Amino acid sequence: MKEIVTVQVGGFANFVGSHFWNFQDELLGLASDPSGDSVFKNNALNMDVLYRTGETQQGTLTYTPRLLSVNFQGSLGSMSSFGTLYNEVASTPPDVLTWTGNVSTHASEPRRRNLFLQRLYEEERDSLTQENAINGGRNKPQREIKDEDIVEFLENGVQYWTDFSKVHYHPQSLYEMSGLWMGAQEFDSYGIGRDTSWALREEISERLRFFVEECDHIQGFQFIVNDSGGFSSVSADFLENIADEYTNTPVLLYAVKDPGSHMIPKSQKQVVSKNLHDAVSFSRLSSFCKLIVPVGLPSLSRSKASTFLCIEDEKPYHCSAVYASALHTISLPFRMEPLGPSADSCYVSGAVDIHGVVEILSGQARQNRVIILDVAMPAPSLTGKQVEQSFLGNLQTLTPEISEDVEDLQAVESMTIHGALGSGGRRAPISEVKDMVRAAYENVMTKPRFCNLSVALCPLPIPLPFPKIFGNLVSQHGELLGSPVVDSPLRGSLDVHSIPLAARLRSSSAVLPFLENRLGNIRRLGIQQGAAGAEIVRYWGYGKDELEDMGETLSKMVLELDPYSQMSSDSD
Amino acid sequence: MSIRMLNPNAEVLNKSAALHMNINAAKGLQDVLKSNLGPKGTIKMLVGGAGDIKLTKDGNTLLKEMQIQNPTAIMIARTATAQDDISGDGTTSTVIFIGELMKQSERYIDEGMHPRVLVDGFEIAKRATLQFLEKFKTVVVMGNEPDKEILKMVARTTLRTKLYEALADQLTDIVVNAVLCIRNPEEAIDLFMVEIMHMRHKFDVDTRLVEGLVLDHGSRHPDMKRRAENCYILTCNVSLEYEKSEVNAGFFYSNAEQREAMVAAERRQVDERVNKIIELKNKVCSGNDNNFVVINQKGIDPPSLDLLARAGIIALRRAKRRNMERLVLACGGEAVNSVDDLTPDSLGWAGLVYEHILGEEKYTFVENVKNPYSCTILIKGPNDHTIAQIKDAVRDGLRAVKNTIEDESVVLGAGAFEVAARQYLINEVKKTVQGRAQLGVEAFANALLVVPKTLAENSGLDTQDVIIALTGAHDQGNVVGLNQHTGEPIDPQMEGIFDNYSVKRQIINSGPVIASQLLLVDEVIRAGRNMRKPN
Ligand SMILES: Nc1ncnc2c1ncn2[C@@H]1O[C@H](COP(=O)(O)OP(=O)(O)OP(=O)(O)O)[C@@H](O)[C@H]1O
Ligand SMILES: [Mg+2]
Repeated sequence: MKEIVTVQVGGFANFVGSHFWNFQDELLGLASDPSGDSVFKNNALNMDVLYRTGETQQGTLTYTPRLLSVNFQGSLGSMSSFGTLYNEVASTPPDVLTWTGNVSTHASEPRRRNLFLQRLYEEERDSLTQENAINGGRNKPQREIKDEDIVEFLENGVQYWTDFSKVHYHPQSLYEMSGLWMGAQEFDSYGIGRDTSWALREEISERLRFFVEECDHIQGFQFIVNDSGGFSSVSADFLENIADEYTNTPVLLYAVKDPGSHMIPKSQKQVVSKNLHDAVSFSRLSSFCKLIVPVGLPSLSRSKASTFLCIEDEKPYHCSAVYASALHTISLPFRMEPLGPSADSCYVSGAVDIHGVVEILSGQARQNRVIILDVAMPAPSLTGKQVEQSFLGNLQTLTPEISEDVEDLQAVESMTIHGALGSGGRRAPISEVKDMVRAAYENVMTKPRFCNLSVALCPLPIPLPFPKIFGNLVSQHGELLGSPVVDSPLRGSLDVHSIPLAARLRSSSAVLPFLENRLGNIRRLGIQQGAAGAEIVRYWGYGKDELEDMGETLSKMVLELDPYSQMSSDSD
Repeated sequence: MSIRMLNPNAEVLNKSAALHMNINAAKGLQDVLKSNLGPKGTIKMLVGGAGDIKLTKDGNTLLKEMQIQNPTAIMIARTATAQDDISGDGTTSTVIFIGELMKQSERYIDEGMHPRVLVDGFEIAKRATLQFLEKFKTVVVMGNEPDKEILKMVARTTLRTKLYEALADQLTDIVVNAVLCIRNPEEAIDLFMVEIMHMRHKFDVDTRLVEGLVLDHGSRHPDMKRRAENCYILTCNVSLEYEKSEVNAGFFYSNAEQREAMVAAERRQVDERVNKIIELKNKVCSGNDNNFVVINQKGIDPPSLDLLARAGIIALRRAKRRNMERLVLACGGEAVNSVDDLTPDSLGWAGLVYEHILGEEKYTFVENVKNPYSCTILIKGPNDHTIAQIKDAVRDGLRAVKNTIEDESVVLGAGAFEVAARQYLINEVKKTVQGRAQLGVEAFANALLVVPKTLAENSGLDTQDVIIALTGAHDQGNVVGLNQHTGEPIDPQMEGIFDNYSVKRQIINSGPVIASQLLLVDEVIRAGRNMRKPN
């Protein structure tokens, strides 16, 4: 077992993370549910990779994500930053043990638990009292809060990522940045992130060390960051620190953008600022990680990735659910037990750790580390002859600004499929999935140079707080129906219990436009004589030399994918 | 708590409205903070929306916990927290001083005076006050053996503004001894060499000074000793773990054997490093029953831990970067980055190393060291907010001692300086000033009195009476501060109430700068604007 430490920085990153951990929590719950589907019971996925075992001072054992989440003070909604497990019952009002003089209490308006969280809380309390009851067999307490009401509430009521989280977090996990005196809007500037205090950075690093010290063989960091505003620069500093401290531990970085940050800027100045931001942010983030995966489409709802989904772009709760699903799938091979190349279990196949994925994608012919994320949500059933022709076409990108039809003979890919359904709606055995994918690759015109395939039997479980985003062609187990279910246009966790999913990381020259846009912008708006954004970058704290270095880095990235690029040499 | 005194959407206001808005914001922030000031101030318990508790009597911490939205208030708060970053104290005084400068100015402005004139007066008064501070301060000569009594008095003054007396007094010795421990007369004092560590402990509120180091982790092998005496300490930054992944799909190696060979070779390298450490241990520990402890900044994986445990070595991994430095200062030896040239000289020494476990939290104590230049203040408290508040106080205390040593002077407290400076400005400086700038000097002088006034108010005394008594006693030629119990003038020297010189100096310096900016405002600064933004 090789541990992963997950880091989430920023609002939207934490939305994605919240869904991600809900999936894990659901898997854990299903695995121990005696009446549950057997596919979840023995899933051959080692959750210890993502979770840590601990113990409270009272001796209660805990199992919590190996996670560090960083966000604004006040972004945790009704959740306490200490989490819920390690709290002692506090005396009310708590005694002040350090001061004998006057005490004044300033209480914020208590944040009420929403319907969903109330229900979680009640269930927990009931299960505790039931355990304590001497003669069991008492009546199951009547549920006052109905599932339907919860789902409806969440559709429109989610404000914080904690509003839909069902996970218990460790007290070291949730870090709130205080003393910034600004809201998300003001923090939306790259320069402001650079101003965050040094003490804050030190505290974040200390929290991270807590989780790393416990690891016997850390395989890498899974890092989800908001690629916007101050959070991006906070993350870049943090990553730099990690690269320094944990030099040989690979970082798999997801730079996520919420649809809001794709909003069309109002003024010319904002356009300049946004473009420069994207260039600077990307250039810095990418220099401190082994793989960077830009995630987040300007309009997820209208993208092909949403063919079977109904997304409302303005809801982070919606978009983050899709991205989190893909991240979950990508993380599966990291927790499969390696069995050696020939042996296959009937549950999983193709274990690769983060280092392995790095080697596959960027350690071969090309050193490209900017990776495209594709997803088929849900993955199509593996039935009929035509699936071999159409299967790969179902994978749609979640990475913005890439070109669609490129023929790249040097492309390398790593794909994971799990929970795939075969004929008659039964779960397709691992070998069948592998054969199908192999056949599918035989059928394409331009084959990638290399493709790694990982397969798991266990599908993506859909937890109750998952948004109502499935279209009416998606059935209970994620099978795509020939004709729509009539009763409801939108289907959520009450209708769809699990789905098969395929996701792919791809190193391909298709990402060139993404890189070229950034390179072009940094040159045109930042470096050139009289560049429109020279002032802005100076305010962010970068001199001309640093910008030129960034340009250099970007142009190397372009060259790696396109040795004959027109952009390779500086135009001046 | 939130301060929201204007509509944040109103981006630009006209001059006069803007000015009054600034004045109101400054007064508003003053109102929030003034009950903090001094040993009779009020401690604040902040309960967050999710029930999180923060406890603070410190201006700096309070400001950071507040959701301030008003741009003027943010500016003042930034100045005050900068005050804390630079000198470690005086945030509350800074905020109330700025508020008072604005308040005093308001009177004149309402009578039609141009802010420019006041600002000119501020500048004159500021310079005069700084000069006066040079005369007023008490010089303490620090030579090789600093005067411990004066250090204690300064530390006690500051700590008693944060913790009840008995606790403050206990901490006084601790912070003074801590700073003296790490002090090397040839070098600047680096307070990072005092580690502050905490433990959550059900019933205890206790703080102690550990001459040595407390680490917040333990060894990771069941067979390693939990307690050892007479220990060699190896402080190192060497990877003792296998780092390459075992790629299993077999695509990089033509065959499985080749892969195996790669893995084995890599493992061998790690083992060799471990063996070099074991060799050194055998060398220094043969023929005696001394122990050997490895504290590594990098990782140590289970096979390496096994080897070390079998050799009777205690090993800790992933030590804080900063502890590398601290360990060497506490135990001697040197931090090594490679095991290639290990010699017994690289080793430090500790008389006792032991582990302490609380739930999932582990602590390793490295104690009984010779001649330490690094130490740890260990805080025990029953909950996080109590610990955090004590920690803040300890930091303040440490800064106060460091400042005193570096300033080589202190300033009489309890309002004594403010009263004396005010009288000096009114009686001596004002008359030398031409024209209406006099009124700026007067406003500045009166604003200084906010400190003794607030101290009086927080003690439940009548501020008018107090000021009359203090200025009266001063004019008879005494240096007087406020007795907070009686309201009578006292001699702060006799009571041992001393503030830091550098803190006072910075308050005098930064207060008028910000107040002037706020008075000369043309239009309101928008929230979130960065102070280094070019205009
Ligand atoms: N025993 C005392 N009697 C009267 N005044 C005192 C006494 N001890 C300290 N003071 C005064 O209290 C003031 C310091 O109070 P306090 O430490 O609460 O605020 P601060 O230093 O301005 O801000 P902070 O410590 O919150 O950053 C100083 O003016 C000091 O002279
Ligand atoms: Mg103070």
